[in-house]
Amino acid sequence: MKRYLLAYAVVFFLSLFVGRFTFSPLDMGEIEKTILLDVRLPRIVAASLLGASLSLAGLSFQNLFKNHLAGPNLLGVTSGAAFGAVLAILIFTFNPYLVQGLSFLFGLVAVLIAWKLSRLVGSGTVGLILAGIAVSAFFSALVGMAKYLADPYDKLPTIVFWLLGSFAGIRWTDIRFFSVPLVVSILGIILLRWPLNILSLGDEEAKGLGLNVPFYRRLIIGLAALGVSASTAIAGMISWVGLVSPHIARLLVGHDNRALVPASALVGASLLLICDDLARTLTPAELPLGVVTSLVGAPILVAILARRRYHVAR
Amino acid sequence: MLLVEGLEFSYQNGKVLEGVGFSLESGIGCLLGPNGAGKSTLIKCIAGVLQPTAGRIELNGASLLSMGFRERSKLVSYAPQEFGISFPYTVFEVVLMGRNPHVNPLEGPGEDDEEKAWKALEALGITDLAEKPFTNLSGGQKRLILIARALAQEGELLLFDEPTSFLDFRNQHLVLSVIGGLAKDLGKLVLVSLHDPNQALLFCDTVFLMREGKVVASGRAEDVVTGENLEALYGVGVRLIEVDGLRFVVPEKDETGLNLNSSCGGRYR
Repeated sequence: MKRYLLAYAVVFFLSLFVGRFTFSPLDMGEIEKTILLDVRLPRIVAASLLGASLSLAGLSFQNLFKNHLAGPNLLGVTSGAAFGAVLAILIFTFNPYLVQGLSFLFGLVAVLIAWKLSRLVGSGTVGLILAGIAVSAFFSALVGMAKYLADPYDKLPTIVFWLLGSFAGIRWTDIRFFSVPLVVSILGIILLRWPLNILSLGDEEAKGLGLNVPFYRRLIIGLAALGVSASTAIAGMISWVGLVSPHIARLLVGHDNRALVPASALVGASLLLICDDLARTLTPAELPLGVVTSLVGAPILVAILARRRYHVAR
Repeated sequence: MLLVEGLEFSYQNGKVLEGVGFSLESGIGCLLGPNGAGKSTLIKCIAGVLQPTAGRIELNGASLLSMGFRERSKLVSYAPQEFGISFPYTVFEVVLMGRNPHVNPLEGPGEDDEEKAWKALEALGITDLAEKPFTNLSGGQKRLILIARALAQEGELLLFDEPTSFLDFRNQHLVLSVIGGLAKDLGKLVLVSLHDPNQALLFCDTVFLMREGKVVASGRAEDVVTGENLEALYGVGVRLIEVDGLRFVVPEKDETGLNLNSSCGGRYR
């Protein structure tokens, strides 16, 4: 694990000096210090926390639902949070705190609705997945409706840019509040990495092994939803990181969640940092983060799947 | 001793167990009966996977139904019929998960637990599989791993739901011999569900015949697995033959084929 921590530290350090404004760490004046500490550092801290949190949410859902292709939006959290933000932009004049607050709130509301709905279908994981799909589709439809109704010259561009995701303009004040749910989510899932192993066997075997399945499942879903809601509230919709990072970590440390959970957090943090570095350096204007994560994430997933097929074929 | 009394269980579409009662003193007990008789449901109720609607389950005088998940799983190990493992954990990791009831959930297993998991693999002579991915193993190997996991769990009562399903001829007998060894050498109380009356005769001390959610007959294997009982249970005409002092069940056959009784169930209906 030390190797992966070191790799993350290197990415963290290099990210401080990547950007349109270049300078040497050995020769810094007041302006450089301000850029470093008040512009780049909060952005890097945010990217690290979000990357780790999204990755752990993806990993948790993959284990809980025994599905390798589960991502953080499985229960509709991202869609709910997106709708919350869009609603705030549509109704009020753009106020970042209101957007973030409503987004966070609706992310949690979405998972609660999914949880309640699942009771109608059945108490197991299948019911939750079906309810999650329904909730996700419902909130995506509402986002579509909001876009259709939005003023095309003023609010629509704001909505579209927000949905594409970005860390641009992130300051310490933006992270101050949301770092709490993010850290709680990350540390909570790291603490619960052994029960996550048992939960991945399915309800029946987990109960046979003495795990209080409903309690731990609720706890882990709650922690994951907390992280994903906060992530979406801060930076909009960031796709692929939560799905791909756990798979990269599996290639490095195997499937045992005792090692996989911390490794996934580090991979997620590093991957999102690298994507953000690319977003702010590839073109003169910043690229939307959600676009970059998709561009980077999709080929990585294909490479991993191809590698796995190769192993099976052998 | 395992004691079950007046056990009832219903799924949404109807009753599956109706006043099930039996007791198992020692050795291997076998639940024998047609598909849908309630064997798996009964095993799941004893394992704590399903919550019965009425009745008592006691192990050595202690009520299992009033225990929490953890407490119960320290006494009862359960290996399900189907493998729930969909991630390629190594065999050692799978067996180590059997230690869960004894492990602090926030700390995970310690050295002592790893040692016990290793000993379970040693007891079954399969330490060479330790680092292999579980999902790449054959059906027979997977069964052995689940038995090792049940052993690492250190329950006094071991429950195996159809441990021979989907296995070839050799592996069926290998798995049952291993389970037999646990009862004989380690003094564990074992309850299995089986489909083959011959395996019940070969490997089990006590047999419980199940039909339509009830235990309809119980006793020593050679007393219960009789032609008359099996015919009533499965609606198939059978004969018992003896080879080298061992009894075997063979289906009765005439020129028109197997003697399948259309009003199957007979006196157990």
